Amino acid sequence: MKKNALKAPASKSKKEFRGVPKPVRRAAAALLCTLMILSLCSCWSRRELNTLAIVLATAVDEGKESGELKVTAQIVSPGEIKSGPSSSGSKASQKAYANIDNTDESVISALGGFTHITNRSMYFSHNRVLIFSREVAQKDILEGLDAFTRNFETRMNVYLLISKDKAADILNEEIELEQMPANHIAEMVEAQRSNSETAIVTLLDFDIASLSGSTAPVAPMIEMYEVNGKKKSRLEGTAVFKQGKMIGELNVPQTRGLMWATGKAKKATITIDTKDGKIDLLIIHAKGSMKPDKAEDGTFRMKLKVYAEGNIESNETGKDMSSVENAEMLKKQAEDYIRADIESALKHAKTLSADVFGFGEAIHRDYPKDWEKIKESWDSKFRGLMTEMEIDVKIASSGGLGKPVVQGGAE
Amino acid sequence: MKLEKGSISERALIFSVFCFMQGTMLRSAFIVAVTKNDSWAMAFTGLLGSLLLTAIYAALLRRFQEKNLFEINELVFGPVLGKVFSVLYLFFFLSLAALNTHDIGDFVVGYMMQETPLAAIILLFVLICVYAVRKGISNIVRLSTVLCLIAMAAVVINTVLMLNSMQPGFLKPFFQLPFGKYVQGTVTVAALPMGEVLTFTMITPMLGKNKKAGKMMAYGLILAAVFLGIVLLRDILVLGPMAGVLRLPSYESVRYVNLAGILTRMESLYGVVLISLYVFKVSILLYACVLGLAQLLNFKSYQPLTLICGAFVFFYSLVVYKSVMEHADWGATVAAIFSLTFELLLPSASLVAVSIKKAIRLRET
Repeated sequence: MKKNALKAPASKSKKEFRGVPKPVRRAAAALLCTLMILSLCSCWSRRELNTLAIVLATAVDEGKESGELKVTAQIVSPGEIKSGPSSSGSKASQKAYANIDNTDESVISALGGFTHITNRSMYFSHNRVLIFSREVAQKDILEGLDAFTRNFETRMNVYLLISKDKAADILNEEIELEQMPANHIAEMVEAQRSNSETAIVTLLDFDIASLSGSTAPVAPMIEMYEVNGKKKSRLEGTAVFKQGKMIGELNVPQTRGLMWATGKAKKATITIDTKDGKIDLLIIHAKGSMKPDKAEDGTFRMKLKVYAEGNIESNETGKDMSSVENAEMLKKQAEDYIRADIESALKHAKTLSADVFGFGEAIHRDYPKDWEKIKESWDSKFRGLMTEMEIDVKIASSGGLGKPVVQGGAE
Repeated sequence: MKLEKGSISERALIFSVFCFMQGTMLRSAFIVAVTKNDSWAMAFTGLLGSLLLTAIYAALLRRFQEKNLFEINELVFGPVLGKVFSVLYLFFFLSLAALNTHDIGDFVVGYMMQETPLAAIILLFVLICVYAVRKGISNIVRLSTVLCLIAMAAVVINTVLMLNSMQPGFLKPFFQLPFGKYVQGTVTVAALPMGEVLTFTMITPMLGKNKKAGKMMAYGLILAAVFLGIVLLRDILVLGPMAGVLRLPSYESVRYVNLAGILTRMESLYGVVLISLYVFKVSILLYACVLGLAQLLNFKSYQPLTLICGAFVFFYSLVVYKSVMEHADWGATVAAIFSLTFELLLPSASLVAVSIKKAIRLRET
């Protein structure tokens, strides 16, 4: 019965054309088919793979003259990609990427200028890394950020980095395990999850922090160093922004403190100096939370809670750390270590008067009415903000060993 | 004399209403821009508003069994005034068809094929809708069950995949905007996507005698509101304050899917679903125009008019906006009032007229 229902309208429309001669009907059908073939492949805006320059990383530097920006793009050179770096026995082979740069008044005009120097058009969908040099960041980062967020092709999950020196140099780093510096950097950023010493910041995170108004956006910093005559990059420290300008930096312990306080630290290694030697703890589970607490006089305190759980990873002391008293001592020391990091970060953030933790946002969320009153004077309020820390470290096991292998192991 | 001989089931009507709404709801920027992080609540306050509208339509449809909106107009107001009302509704349906056609053209041109002229995309799109209407609207309505499942699955899958990038803190603080914003948000949701359920009063006679058309429309709306709530919650939880800034929050949040670096770039799924839902929506709107026009002009069949109406929608949609900015401005200011004129004012007038007529007749007897 359903079949009939489906067929009925079709036969009706056939009837309608009965008056039209057969050749005309056929010509019309042929014309329609041609039209469909021409239009359905959407050739109008076609972009073939061999006309695209797939950009994997972008770096923004200052140009030679003031007010100019130099944009460097790292492009895949598809023919040179091999199955793996180990298989390329001859190191003399060509690089799998090309860096091209152009200097102009703005990011977009510099990108547009690429058409003068390459045959391919830039394709930003696979861009993984966006690096701004410190000089650009200190002047104004918003222009570039808006361009990269607004564009339809770019994605907001690109990693944002600030280079201490020239950003273009980072894309020229001499790498060994990867073929493309862009992939190396992007995966290096992702790997920071296991040490919690670097903030992992995507364009979306940065945009959200910028939109909040009170939170100071942060971005990890990257720098070049030389080893065995080879120039390589490494992640170190955090850049702090305010109103689109970089206003300061956090060093590694301060960054660690930021990660603990904002609950972004998940895994970490903590080295504790005891009077007998060093002991490493590996934190496997961690969580942190912040809660504003309103006093009766209307002032706020922030309550920071950090919970970390881990194992003893190494013991250089020769003392038995598996005893309950020693474990308790380690726990205290680890808590002090985390507290010191957070305090150092807090102190530095207050001198910068930059709310990198998002305390203002936390107050806004829980006490929106009060926030309206203190919003305008938040900078000075933040400088005088009291914090209360509750840090709890749990040492779950002593690893694969009970007693240490050296000195006084098996007594 | 009946122009439409097809029939549809009650279940198909529920799913049709859902599909009809869902297309607009996936372009949620017009709500999020107004009520920011509280937009998810608008899905439900808006639903209440639209259920009131549906009650009016249901009351009309109950009094005039197996009659569509245009026939009801003539029965209520007589041949002359009734035709004036019908012309007004016809203008509304045509405008909606043109606006929605323009929307999908904007999406394709803006996000995928920037150099392609809008006209090329709109032309193809309208041709498909014309074809669908010519082949009988009951087929498209029957298809809604499948389309509805695809759309629901896409929303659910994308939401589940994004669970790990959601930050519950983005929902706070609750309800801190000025009260007027919530009124605006509620009216916008009630009038813009949900009130358009009025279009289905052209289709409900196909249900047959003694079927509860109003109830089915309400079920469809409830289903749509639930999914609108899910979509809005997801966008806000993933994008936070960015949701209020982006032009297509849902599209951008879906782009953020990353499951272990393997399952990424899910926006194609979103694109496919959005375009199919729009084909469905514009087909229904086009059908309402075509059927209405055929009735106005006393045609024996509506099919000769499909291509003409399609052509009209094509040209209308090309000139309906000059730019996206103008569109957004219209959406935020006039659109709700424009829609409510047809969705609330005219049907209420019909209902009042019917009641007065009935009262007079009672007094005479």
